[in-house]
Amino acid sequence: MDQLMKILSECCPGVDFEQEQNLVDDGIITSLDIVTIVSEIMEVFDIEISVDDLMPEHFNSTQAMFRLIEEKRA
Amino acid sequence: MSFTSPAFFLFVLVLVPVYYLAPKRSQWIILLIASYAFYLFGSVKAVFYLVFTTITTYTAGLLLDRLNRRRAHLAPEEKTLGAKRIKRQKKAVIVCALLMSFGLLYLVKYWNFTAELLSGITGAAVPGLNLLVPLGLSFYLFQSVGYVIDIYRGKYEAQASLPRFALFVSFFPQIIQGPISRYDQLAPQLLARRSVNWDHLKYGIQLAMWGYFKKLIIAERIGVAANTVFADNSAYGGAVLAVGVLAYCIQLYCDFSGGIDITRGVAQMLGINLIENFRRPIFSQSLTEFWRRWHISLGGWLRDYLFFSLSLSKPFARLGKWARKHIPGKAGKILATSLATFIVYFVIGVWHGANWRYIAFGFYNGLIITASLLLEDRFIRLRQIFRMSDHPGWRLFRMGRTALLVFIGRYITRAPRLLVGVDMLWRTVFDCRISQLWDGSLLTLGITGFDYGVVLSGVAVLLLAEYQQEKGVAIRDTLARKNPLLQWLAIAIPMAVILLFGIVIRSYVPAQFIYAQY
Repeated sequence: MDQLMKILSECCPGVDFEQEQNLVDDGIITSLDIVTIVSEIMEVFDIEISVDDLMPEHFNSTQAMFRLIEEKRA
Repeated sequence: MSFTSPAFFLFVLVLVPVYYLAPKRSQWIILLIASYAFYLFGSVKAVFYLVFTTITTYTAGLLLDRLNRRRAHLAPEEKTLGAKRIKRQKKAVIVCALLMSFGLLYLVKYWNFTAELLSGITGAAVPGLNLLVPLGLSFYLFQSVGYVIDIYRGKYEAQASLPRFALFVSFFPQIIQGPISRYDQLAPQLLARRSVNWDHLKYGIQLAMWGYFKKLIIAERIGVAANTVFADNSAYGGAVLAVGVLAYCIQLYCDFSGGIDITRGVAQMLGINLIENFRRPIFSQSLTEFWRRWHISLGGWLRDYLFFSLSLSKPFARLGKWARKHIPGKAGKILATSLATFIVYFVIGVWHGANWRYIAFGFYNGLIITASLLLEDRFIRLRQIFRMSDHPGWRLFRMGRTALLVFIGRYITRAPRLLVGVDMLWRTVFDCRISQLWDGSLLTLGITGFDYGVVLSGVAVLLLAEYQQEKGVAIRDTLARKNPLLQWLAIAIPMAVILLFGIVIRSYVPAQFIYAQY
């Protein structure tokens, strides 16, 4: 989780990733942010995230992103 | 059949009661017949393209759906090999579907440009094609291809009924100029069984009238001035040229967003909510934000089906890895996504047509946005040094800067040729002849002082309404809370204004919409 938080805060400084639950739906992070975050996650966690996984529900909160990472690691 | 023709008013006037009075199970059939009748009214030949697109994407959807099901039912021992085989088959299907769809688009819209280019390069005569460009091809084709890609990605199941799918592709209010809808959002609404709902009807009429206000009162008037300036630009100094480009900016926004309001209004009369295509782009703080607020459905389509696919593709992943290793800082991290962004904006330019002007327009937007992404860190540091916080003056400056960038881009797209556009821009800066703004030159642009007054008043009303919406006021909801007499007056008075200033005073000719040609 710490690694993920580091990626998020570096990619989108100023966003409260601990509290926000509608990052995509409320337009807090853009499609460009999502792709940058995904590229970083794939690099750091050594996992494959495909375009089919790019759904708002996977990126609306830090917890959701963490669940996606865990799922891909399994 | 133009939205501004008497035939269209009659068409809607007949369709709405027939739709609600028909047996509920056949309401969607009424919509299908109406949609094809609407399209046939425009051109019989163009229906060929519509049927071709419908059949190819319908078939591709079914094949992909069958493969998705087969994959879901693989026995455990077959999982790895079977899944790989099915993935290959799915790829073959989607490649065929994309080649057929975009191949058709290429032949119709881009072949002649390619032939001219090849002739210029090789010296040999490469024959062009004398093909009809059907109205709205890019819109319904993108919508259908989006459906096929969604099935490929397993987002939902395919539509088994060809006529039901045909309605999704051809739904008449949106077939000419969008918005480009998504199947899972639109199809359930088209196939639903409905009773008449007075609120839907009232909201729909109000929205359509707002669209007619923009189109007939503002766009049609100011468009005359824009056409005059661009048709004979050598006669004017830079200041009048700038007025002409500003006139075109107003015309384009009121024409396209007005057309979309009519589209969404008519759909709403039938109880169907189409997606938003504009979100007050004048308030954009950056060019990126402008493109998120302008033609939203095209931007969303390109984001979901092109940008995401490109950004996560293997070549881009390799480029990203290389950039992270060799380029320090944020630039290294976002180089690959910036390149994908550039390609998306280039495609937005080329989507408008095969022409050097649109290619240049794509480059123009792509370069500015990509540069702003790569230099973002430095801009943030500059803002901190100069203590530029989020106060209204700074926001206003950013709005003005964005409007200026869009304004410059319009020189390129509206001029008859790319170099003419560049020359007009040059003269705006270096051969201004500002006295032409008050020596009567503006009254030689085909519209009178009275017309300028009507346009300025119209734009003021538009800005006021959009400012309220930007602050979060839902104008139609606010109106709905007033007493019924006031609500009907709010329909009757604008209708009278549109009739008077949009039709009676002007020598009225049913007008086409600019984006219908794309």
